[in-house]
Amino acid sequence: MLKIMLRHISLLTLTLLILSFFSFSLAYLFPGDPLVNLTGIRNSSEQGYALLAQQYAMQDSFISQYWQYVNHLFAGNWGLSFSSGLPLAEEISRSLAASVELSAYALIFSFVIGLPLGFLAGLRHHKFIDFSLLSASVIGYSIPVFWLALIAILIFSIQLGWFPLSGRISLLYDIPYQTGFILVDILLSDVPDKEFAFQDALQHLVLPSVSIAIVTCTIILRITRRSVIEVMNSEYIQAAYARGLSPRQVVLRHGVKNALIPILPLLVMQFTTLLTNAMIVETIFSWPGIGNGLIQAIYQRDFPAIRAGMLAVSALVLTFTITIDMVIQIFDPARRRPEHATS
Amino acid sequence: MPRLNLYQEEFYPSPIQNTWKEFKENHAALMSLYCVIFFIFVMIFGPLLAPFDPLQQHIDFLLVPPAWDNNGDISHLFGTDGLGRDMLSRIIYGCRMTFGISLVLVIISMLIGVSLGAMAGMSKGLRSSVVNHLLDSIMAIPTLLIAIIIIAIVGTGLVNSMWAISLALIPQFIHQTRDIVRQKMKKEYVLAAQLDGAGKVHIFFNSILPNMAEMLVVQVTLALSVAILDISALGFLNLGAQAPSPELGALLSEGLASAYVAPWNIAMPGAAIFLMMMSINLVGDGLRSALRYRLLR
Repeated sequence: MLKIMLRHISLLTLTLLILSFFSFSLAYLFPGDPLVNLTGIRNSSEQGYALLAQQYAMQDSFISQYWQYVNHLFAGNWGLSFSSGLPLAEEISRSLAASVELSAYALIFSFVIGLPLGFLAGLRHHKFIDFSLLSASVIGYSIPVFWLALIAILIFSIQLGWFPLSGRISLLYDIPYQTGFILVDILLSDVPDKEFAFQDALQHLVLPSVSIAIVTCTIILRITRRSVIEVMNSEYIQAAYARGLSPRQVVLRHGVKNALIPILPLLVMQFTTLLTNAMIVETIFSWPGIGNGLIQAIYQRDFPAIRAGMLAVSALVLTFTITIDMVIQIFDPARRRPEHATS
Repeated sequence: MPRLNLYQEEFYPSPIQNTWKEFKENHAALMSLYCVIFFIFVMIFGPLLAPFDPLQQHIDFLLVPPAWDNNGDISHLFGTDGLGRDMLSRIIYGCRMTFGISLVLVIISMLIGVSLGAMAGMSKGLRSSVVNHLLDSIMAIPTLLIAIIIIAIVGTGLVNSMWAISLALIPQFIHQTRDIVRQKMKKEYVLAAQLDGAGKVHIFFNSILPNMAEMLVVQVTLALSVAILDISALGFLNLGAQAPSPELGALLSEGLASAYVAPWNIAMPGAAIFLMMMSINLVGDGLRSALRYRLLR
């Protein structure tokens, strides 16, 4: 177990180092002065520039510049945004929280819908309900998420007027920033009309999270279905039937557990697909998340924000997947891969 | 099979025939194969099929609804957009662009990915271990995110987004090829070839490549749907193809301006992307299950 943890931690450190090195070299790859791209401070006085250059060791070698950059990163000094002039570390942590909130609700939603339907389809393999669910899932995962979101806006917020068009919460409510998760913030805050604010935030959440969830939900359905079919065809299920267990007992005692084990990692890996979809949907619904921020930064050629945003998103994704991989390998010895170097 | 009873000769279908027979049984997959062929046809003969030039502005026909609407006009089957450009022609050119570009990108990244993957799969030792682990981690980052990052560096534009997407697709091919090559290297027919003194290149092209061609085709269908989604998403976000060009995602984002008065301007291009993605996904699914079940019957 220690070996697995050690291997994953070293892998994580290595990839994060490479990522940070890449994000550092972005400052050189982007047009303009590397120092300005790193700090985000434009039009500084000559003295200020010299001071910054000293802080970032600009006259030293590339490696020591990188070292200084990493130090700054750990100190929480990510530079300033060109467009807003605010510190990026704070801006990004806010927008990342908004994105994670949206994706988390979508993920929960798609689990709640996708898993049971997947089991249903898998247990009724090659029956009518299986075929209809499967066809529905093909439609679901072929729909481009941006089109789905647009159609949802056209129907539910413009034609029917059930849900708000964009944003996170109505401007009537001023929720103080605490955790970054709007629902939690509302519950923690002491604004008047708390329940109305909560309801309003929920209404804002429905359309974006559902349009993200539909795509993820169908993928979860398909993975679950495949796994259930494989498990139900296996010999120990036959043996359980032979021992005289009723179908319900077989499924609940043997089927569910064995079908869930191999798919959990696959399901969790859907988080990255989810995050991509969330990034697109954010721009449509003007959700103040990292995807929206990153794309606005590209439009406005806000190089420090692109650098920091890219680092934050990819670090989040990598940390998440490597950690999950580690946890799975610790708890499920069957999935431990042979070590690559030995094969 | 009646054929066996009628004639006293034995008929063994080849693996490809087996796959095709299994594939034919799946009506949805067969229909979508025809659909894909239709899209390829549109891609090749698009300029001959399109009634108008995609950029030509018909000033007398602004925001005409599709032909089946009461206010529609038969000369513009799918209606026109806010500048009076014919939607049908724009969608035909858009399919040509989106589908064609995706196809080219997938083929390029397949060639690069397979050759790198073969090298990674056949090498051993620390270097391959490091490369493999890094690759696994890169795989975890969604292609669209990689594409956005690359576009952030090189700037927006169709050609840049093409580079970005093909770079982002390569890791999946490397990963897949590496795994298959690993598996096949342990087979006895590879050992036999090695004992005969065959070199690595010879083994790859004569023993491994024919055995992984089918998996490669499945992977291509997967990559194709990813590429179509990514290129239209980038076009939609104004990071890829820029406004006047009839790329399907760019069409969609242009339709946004008049979405309330002219919903067909976002319905039609989106439906085209959807149909394209669905037929490719169904062909991929059908192919996969045909490969899985072809020996069971």
